[in-house]
Amino acid sequence: MVALVPTLLRQELARLAEAGARLDGREQWEARDIVLETDCLYNGEGSAKVVWGDTIIYAGVKFEMRTPWPDRPNEGSLMCSAELRPIAGRKYEPGPPSPESIELGRVVDRGIRESGCIDMEKLCIVPGEKVWGVMIDIHVLSDQGNMFDACALAAIAALRTAIVPAERFDVGEDYTLKVKSTPIMASFTRVGGRYVFDPSAEEELGGDERIHITLGDEGHLHSLQKGLKGVFTPEEFAEIFDVAQSRCVDLRKLVANQEGN
Amino acid sequence: MGGYGDVKLLRDDGLRLDGRKIDEMRPIEIEAGILPGADGSAWVKHGLNIAVAAVYGPMEAHPRKIQRQDRCVIDVRYNMAPFSTSDRIRPGYNRRSREISKVTAEALESVVICERYPRSKIRVEIEILSAEAGTRCVGITAASVALADAGIPMRDLLVGVASGKVEDIVVLDLDKAEDNYGQADLPVGILPNTGEIAFLQMDGDLSPDEFNLAMEYNFKAAAEIHEIMVDALKRRYEGGEN
Repeated sequence: MVALVPTLLRQELARLAEAGARLDGREQWEARDIVLETDCLYNGEGSAKVVWGDTIIYAGVKFEMRTPWPDRPNEGSLMCSAELRPIAGRKYEPGPPSPESIELGRVVDRGIRESGCIDMEKLCIVPGEKVWGVMIDIHVLSDQGNMFDACALAAIAALRTAIVPAERFDVGEDYTLKVKSTPIMASFTRVGGRYVFDPSAEEELGGDERIHITLGDEGHLHSLQKGLKGVFTPEEFAEIFDVAQSRCVDLRKLVANQEGN
Repeated sequence: MGGYGDVKLLRDDGLRLDGRKIDEMRPIEIEAGILPGADGSAWVKHGLNIAVAAVYGPMEAHPRKIQRQDRCVIDVRYNMAPFSTSDRIRPGYNRRSREISKVTAEALESVVICERYPRSKIRVEIEILSAEAGTRCVGITAASVALADAGIPMRDLLVGVASGKVEDIVVLDLDKAEDNYGQADLPVGILPNTGEIAFLQMDGDLSPDEFNLAMEYNFKAAAEIHEIMVDALKRRYEGGEN
């Protein structure tokens, strides 16, 4: 019973792939509609909401004052984590963080961290004593496919609107956090034997492995991740890498438009 | 309740710090059916509070020992997002959210016609995205709109509302400063059509007269919120969708 629906779905997805079609009529590399909203929560120092098709994500940025690590007395820290709460869908259950939510948070974290968009030394308040810890929390309200890209978009958009709450911590005046670039993630899932961009929930259910690519402003790679069971060839990767370049440019424009520049 | 009288919460003209009258509510906006994957859902903005509720089910109750032969169980999870307050909240369940989840579930079980779904479970997820005092009430209001949106039969909509006391004056719908520095808080869940109460908590100090006045404010506010809830559900089903 459990395996029956995916089996039928897989057959249908394979048939559609053969004909170059998708379940919801999109092109192979076409995304669903994406709506990005920033500064949408009152207590987040930065916040963003992403409605990506039927997937809905909130991200919020909070600052903590902490003592620096002994080996890096002049550096603050950045942490990004994702919560897949049971509100996100029928299949999600309460409990300690699932491997899936840990992977999600860490993949988004790597893309942002490795892009170097935050200068950790700028987060230092008093060397060896006080530094800022920047926490990006991603809250998934509805997972209806391609959660990774939606989460990464929400996270960077929220970070780019963040205000450092210096007044509340008695260390000067509030100021806008300097974020030097806009790392963007584009993910691909094998559906019916070939890769597609932005899989829907049904395509994920009847699909195979996924590949997450995070690119910086100059098109450089900052993070890669392959998830779920499956293999791919270098030729296949070359193709999706090309698509990722153009998709990331589009998504970065979305963030820039939101910021009004 | 926090400190008594050292923080000024009422202005000289008798209004509150945010300009509201003693018996005036913060503005409320409600939208039903906002989560495409859920069987029912609602978004409620009450002042600076934002709550989202989702309903999944009725579904088979697991594990079996939680099943009831003659009715369904309602499984409520109230959770505050890490970025919902001024200091970040560590993700995960704490004692406060467990207690609120439990009494909210019991309140909702009192209004849902549970006998309709023996051996089943209805999952109610309440996520607080922005918190500025009174989140449990906003959560209750959101949950009951989500249940109605899911088509679950209920005796009435349950409305969450709170009154309290600041500077020896009973006021409706405490904001954050009033909650932190006030003298009492009385959150209730009201069935506006039957006039019954399904949820009740209180802390602080109230005289019997003050309690009666606070309750009077709560009932009056519940009727107003009820209209906004009904309006949200009507908007959701206008035009023959679903």
